Amino acid sequence: MSETTQMLKGILDGCLLAIIKEGEIYGYELAAKLESYGFRSLSEGTIYPLLLRMQKEGLISATLRKSTAGPKRKYYTLTEKGERELKLFIGRWEQVSSSVDNVLNKRGI
Amino acid sequence: MVSKESEQFLTELRFYLMSKGKNDDEINEITEELEVHLMEAEADGKDVSYIIGDSPKQYMKSIGESMSTDYRQMAGLVPLMILLLGAYVSIGPAIEGNFSLSKGTLWIAITAGVIAVGGYGVLIFRVLPKFLHSKWSAVLLLGAGVAVTGLMVMLLLWNQKQGFEPVFTATPFQNNVIVAVCAVIFIVSAIYTKTWFTVIIPLCISVGPIANRFIPQDVNEDPTYILYTVIAFVIIAAVMIFVFMAKRKKMLNNGGK
Repeated sequence: MSETTQMLKGILDGCLLAIIKEGEIYGYELAAKLESYGFRSLSEGTIYPLLLRMQKEGLISATLRKSTAGPKRKYYTLTEKGERELKLFIGRWEQVSSSVDNVLNKRGI
Repeated sequence: MVSKESEQFLTELRFYLMSKGKNDDEINEITEELEVHLMEAEADGKDVSYIIGDSPKQYMKSIGESMSTDYRQMAGLVPLMILLLGAYVSIGPAIEGNFSLSKGTLWIAITAGVIAVGGYGVLIFRVLPKFLHSKWSAVLLLGAGVAVTGLMVMLLLWNQKQGFEPVFTATPFQNNVIVAVCAVIFIVSAIYTKTWFTVIIPLCISVGPIANRFIPQDVNEDPTYILYTVIAFVIIAAVMIFVFMAKRKKMLNNGGK
């Protein structure tokens, strides 16, 4: 599990940005979506330190909203800087993923 | 409401982040956000380890690393600690009605204050976070408490023997004012640090002087009563240690390492 988490470092940031781009979302929902996309080995809390950092870097912004469940929920949205970062991530990921595919399929460069 | 285990984790996280000098507002924000998550996850039948992983210590560390250190707020803690230490030392004599100051006492208080603030700072910010999740944290806290109390008593006894000339002796009214000021300092510190120990410790310190002031002298010197008191204290201490250990064991069984 920890090896998977280690491998995902950096990739998760991009995935979170992509999910937040779909629309305003709060932590628990975000964790559930990640799980539904197949990230089952991750502990749900893993996202919070990342969200904190991305908020500090100005990639996402947060607003507190009342909920019916109890305390206020913190909803995240993508900023313009976040959108640019997401585009860069998609470019980088496509390159990395095709290179890894090439290596694993022994096709060479 | 979250489960006891989650609440325990949130309290430990708050304490850990405070000890790392993080900003209060940010600490509130992240703990509230995690509380919402834990609440909804528990409602869906998940437990705390599902959210924070196998190692709460590692998780706390990763949150701490994502937050900036608030040096301005940390600087505010130093005067607060000095006030607290002053209040700890003053409340006993003031309750007994014989608060006085001499030049010698002042010098000792300043030196001891500087050493205590330094030692306390090192303990809270450097040593304690490393032991937060091991059984050593309890031993360390208890040991530090006993050592500080012992040193204070030795210092006070030595101070009394020196027979310093008092430069200020409080009147009964001034003694009551000092008690009130100390109480305000304890309450403000408790609100500021969001912990109870700044209220509980002075209450424990005050029991002796309050008893000394209000219990008649003949009862105070009766060996039978002294024996009863010692037995009562030993039982209370044993029960507290037992409860503390049981709680800790339960918490460690629920996701800690």
